Amino acid sequence: MDTVQQISPALRRRARSGLRPFVVRALVYLLLTAGCVVTLVPFLWMLGTSLKSSTEIIRLPPTLIPEQPTLQSFRTIFEDPRVPLERFFLNSTAVSVSVVALVLFTSSLAGFVFAKYQFFGKDLLFTLILATMMIPFQVTMIPMYLILVRLHLTDSLWGLVVPGATSAFGIFLMKQFIEGIPAELIDAARIDGASEFGIYTRIVLPQMGPALATLGIFQFMGTWNDYLWPLIVITTTERRTLPIMLTWYNSQHGARHDLSMAAATLVILPILIVYFLFQRWIVQGITLTGFK
Amino acid sequence: MPALRARGRLLRSQHRFAAVSLTPIMLYMMGFTLLPMVWAVVITLFRYSPTREGVFLGLGGGNPFVGLRNYLDIFSSSINGQLFRLSLKNTFIFALLVLPLNLAITLPLAVLIETVHHRLKTVFRTIYFLPTVTSLVAVSLVWGVIYNPTFGLLNLALRAVGLKGMPWLSDPKTTVLGIPLPMICLIVTYVWQDMGYNLVIFIAGLQGIPEVFHEAARVDGANSWQRFWHITVPLLRSTLTFVIVMTMLSSWQVFVIFYVMTRGGPGNLTRTLVLHIYETAFRHQEMGLAATVAMALFAIIMLTTLLQMRLLRREWEY
Repeated sequence: MDTVQQISPALRRRARSGLRPFVVRALVYLLLTAGCVVTLVPFLWMLGTSLKSSTEIIRLPPTLIPEQPTLQSFRTIFEDPRVPLERFFLNSTAVSVSVVALVLFTSSLAGFVFAKYQFFGKDLLFTLILATMMIPFQVTMIPMYLILVRLHLTDSLWGLVVPGATSAFGIFLMKQFIEGIPAELIDAARIDGASEFGIYTRIVLPQMGPALATLGIFQFMGTWNDYLWPLIVITTTERRTLPIMLTWYNSQHGARHDLSMAAATLVILPILIVYFLFQRWIVQGITLTGFK
Repeated sequence: MPALRARGRLLRSQHRFAAVSLTPIMLYMMGFTLLPMVWAVVITLFRYSPTREGVFLGLGGGNPFVGLRNYLDIFSSSINGQLFRLSLKNTFIFALLVLPLNLAITLPLAVLIETVHHRLKTVFRTIYFLPTVTSLVAVSLVWGVIYNPTFGLLNLALRAVGLKGMPWLSDPKTTVLGIPLPMICLIVTYVWQDMGYNLVIFIAGLQGIPEVFHEAARVDGANSWQRFWHITVPLLRSTLTFVIVMTMLSSWQVFVIFYVMTRGGPGNLTRTLVLHIYETAFRHQEMGLAATVAMALFAIIMLTTLLQMRLLRREWEY
């Protein structure tokens, strides 16, 4: 056995294969599948509940699987004049896209300067940026709200975009990536007469694809899912974002589970699509950065 | 000489570019981080509410300077002090239970996922990560319906096997090991939602461990349990530190699931620090007091980070 083990893993595996490894393997798969079931059941329950009719939803005992699946609840929330769904969707999209665009621009530009230029006080400034990452949002949210009051930006979508235009984490991440771009490339562009801003747009940005994608996806998901800040800033119904709208059917108008679950399904869907499309980058981004 | 002059011009244009592009970004950023931070410290020294008139920046006048009275207040026996300590206790229980529960699930799960075939590995990882990318509000709503005493999935399942249902989120009396039932329910939801994140990090950490270590141990006759404790865990230490710190930090700051599922109820049994800050600042408009509680949260977060870094670093030196 000992010599077999040293020869090759494949041979060794064959030598070890017997009943016991097979049982262990089966157990592993069983456990992992059970875990998947636990993970998926709440989603299925959500979907099932959203597909129940308004009479089935109040039947006792409740049904496990909808007997006559219907899209009635989705139609109801789409047609409800008190809750302009497309408005909320538009609000969320506008806010998230603006924040992502601004963060990508400011982070890559500042990251570029920090990575490739020498100036007085650079290290101190960068340490300051890192230090602001340690301040929890809950500590600054009260004064931030007061600042927005002074700028007359409360109860407006701008109030959701303006404080989010820069990101300490984004600058940090971009600096790390841009440091990997060879200095020779930048010098060559300079010799060819490129302006400094031209170097940023034509040499640096094109190489930043994956980094920008990673930062963009995380920023998008963070802004799209944000709850506390819109809860504080926005008071008018028409200006709410999707996550705030979600709780509408849960709290104010008597819990309508079918409607609330239909709304939840609608909010989760775009995020899931983004997730499945960009899964590789999301997983890579997390392992690279530890960002949530 | 002309070469030198050209070099000087080049350097000057570089400096100008750096200054012109960085200055506005930095000022903007500090305006939305450092300025609020300083302002937060300042208003802890006032009895401050935006509903009352002030003299300068809303301070003074109807919002008088009170020195350290807000800080004394949260440690006093007043209603504010009691609510603060209750929220602190609840958050503490929450954070302290979430961490071991999360690690006990995610680390073994990551090890198991690492053993399966490559294709399936991706499938499992994708599924386990689903709750983490889902909107927290949606997650809270779905679990709220699952815990619902009359229409919920959980009670449906319990009744199906002949047990009695429970009012999961509104039961003020039932405790498990001294922890209120609603809190347990919220912990379960939170761990369900949050574990995908740690799982992905652990999987990446495991992939960083060279296979030769396991091979060597296998040759020496170590079983899988021994290999897990004596190879995987020690070599994962930096990943572990990171995961522990991040998990602790995010559970100190928990808000959404508590706000949506219980609003701190029943009887403030699930009132957390951030929920307390939110209610104090934006419902009761007592922002000076709320900012003081936020400072306490800040101190706790700082301490947690430092303590964990210190503890784990000492172990590395063995």
